[in-house]
Amino acid sequence: MKAILAENLSKTYPKGKKAVEGLHLSIEPGEVFGFLGPNGAGKTTTVKLLNGILSPTTGSCRIFDIDPFQHPESAHQISGVVTEHAQMYDHLTGLQNLVFYGTVFGVNTKESELRANQLLETFGLADSANQRLATYSTGMRQRLSLARAMLHRPKILFLDEPTSGLDPESTQHVNSMIQRLAKNEGITVFLCTHQLRYAQEICSSYGLIDDGTVFATGQLGTLRSLVSSGLTVRIEADHFPSDIPHKKTGERTVEINVQDESEIPSIVRHIVEQDGSVYHVSARSLSLEEIYFSLLESHKSKKENL
Amino acid sequence: MNKMQVAIMKKDLRGLVFNKRLFPALLIVPLIFALVLPTILILTVHFAPEDISEMQQLLDLLPLGEQSQDIQMRVIGLMFNYIIPVFFIIIPIMSATIMAASSFVGEKEKRTLETLLYCPLSLHQIFQAKIFASFLLSMFVTFLSFILMMLAAETELLLIAGSPLLLNINWLVTLLLLSPSVSLMAIILIVRGSAKAQSAEEAQQRTIFLILPVLLLVVGQFTGILLVSAWLLLGIGIVFTLIAGLLMKSGRNKFNYETLLK
Ligand SMILES: Nc1ncnc2c1ncn2[C@@H]1O[C@H](COP(=O)(O)OP(=O)(O)OP(=O)(O)O)[C@@H](O)[C@H]1O
Ligand SMILES: [Mg+2]
Repeated sequence: MKAILAENLSKTYPKGKKAVEGLHLSIEPGEVFGFLGPNGAGKTTTVKLLNGILSPTTGSCRIFDIDPFQHPESAHQISGVVTEHAQMYDHLTGLQNLVFYGTVFGVNTKESELRANQLLETFGLADSANQRLATYSTGMRQRLSLARAMLHRPKILFLDEPTSGLDPESTQHVNSMIQRLAKNEGITVFLCTHQLRYAQEICSSYGLIDDGTVFATGQLGTLRSLVSSGLTVRIEADHFPSDIPHKKTGERTVEINVQDESEIPSIVRHIVEQDGSVYHVSARSLSLEEIYFSLLESHKSKKENL
Repeated sequence: MNKMQVAIMKKDLRGLVFNKRLFPALLIVPLIFALVLPTILILTVHFAPEDISEMQQLLDLLPLGEQSQDIQMRVIGLMFNYIIPVFFIIIPIMSATIMAASSFVGEKEKRTLETLLYCPLSLHQIFQAKIFASFLLSMFVTFLSFILMMLAAETELLLIAGSPLLLNINWLVTLLLLSPSVSLMAIILIVRGSAKAQSAEEAQQRTIFLILPVLLLVVGQFTGILLVSAWLLLGIGIVFTLIAGLLMKSGRNKFNYETLLK
């Protein structure tokens, strides 16, 4: 059974805006799936479709074999959702909010209180537990939302920009928490984010979306193989031949993209043959960020050529 | 009602108590209709014997059973059994309105509605919880108002006239059947309006347009019905209860998440 299965899922908003088009997704249980794309790409719309909050224009989806549009109650019971617009009550304290949502998710009051206090502790909110939400900062609200989504021990978490508004320390903390949940408790995570560096640290697979269309999915290795160059070679030399395409990054340093390591010796030989002295050579795989931009660019140019 | 729905109701009622704008409004309604107006009626009758004696003829025309009491007490009894019950249709409608109008739009404006929609309850169950919370509140206010009114009126009458006030069967039908059914109908319609509204102002306007005609109708027609017979009152009460039940059922597929969040 897949954690998330979407087939030809599309959503056109009433005024004609095609927010998501022909989406196919297949995500295994326990995966941390990074859903990446620029503003307005359709990430939040997808999260709402997968939770049955929006009705699909075409296609269908299943969350652990439950159709969220036909049976939202069952789908919601196993999902925890954090989105920007899902806020809590200002006149209640952090603890009261959590206990309320615990009860609404069918956790009994005693267990809710226990879980709430644990999670407040985990998210560094124990000191503010009895303050009204109105007094919380943006980052504190965000962390309370994360705690709220985890109260009922969901099998799957939908996190839409969970670390927006968080300081680097809290971001780091939330990310390691997500990783731990997936690893130790087998929770599936559907993570929409713009923070590509963090995404690379915690996600096990990815989907890249732009303008409503997913144009690449898979693990980092799969995405890397889609890019024409898989390696970036950094060379420091006092002379660099102009017939090799390169990017100058410093007075004596350049970066070249190559497919694999076997191309490096011939480049170095070429420099030396032209009387250049080589001081440094290092190679590293493309980061998620570089792959993302490279794939996004080629997707955009392909679309324009159509 | 399951535990989750009860939690939503508790949260809503609690939110109302904390609301500095709505809670005072809630207190004013029973204060005016259960304490101030009845007291004014009693005092007017007591201190204006001249006009009252002219009512003798009118009183004789009405089918009011035993005529042994003195005229002041008869006029007061007439008012309490045939006019003031009207207030107890107005009180539940008005107090329910205060909470029901903001039931959905309030959550929409505070951006808590989406969070609520992610919970494992069907929309119908969420509507039920919202409607029932307003209903409980309106019944609580109504019965509290009745108790307050009776305490005040009996005390005043014992002090002024030295004899207690006797209520007739109209009150039983009004409090147990008419008030609940009329307020339930109003609440269902107002909660639906609140779900459609984009802002609190819009919801309030909708509500006023809905409630004003009802209130005018009630005030205009009800006294007449009270005078005709308690049986007619009972019949109307039963019909209203049935309509309220039908309304409750009919909304099942009227809303979905998408229209609610728009
Ligand atoms: N309720 C709506 N009605 C009409 N159009 C909408 C609605 N919500 C979103 N859109 C449009 O659909 C497209 C996708 O929006 P969506 O919110 O899914 O993007 P996103 O990927 O979450 O963007 P961001 O990174 O900025 O959060 C956008 O062009 C947006 O303008
Ligand atoms: Mg978004």
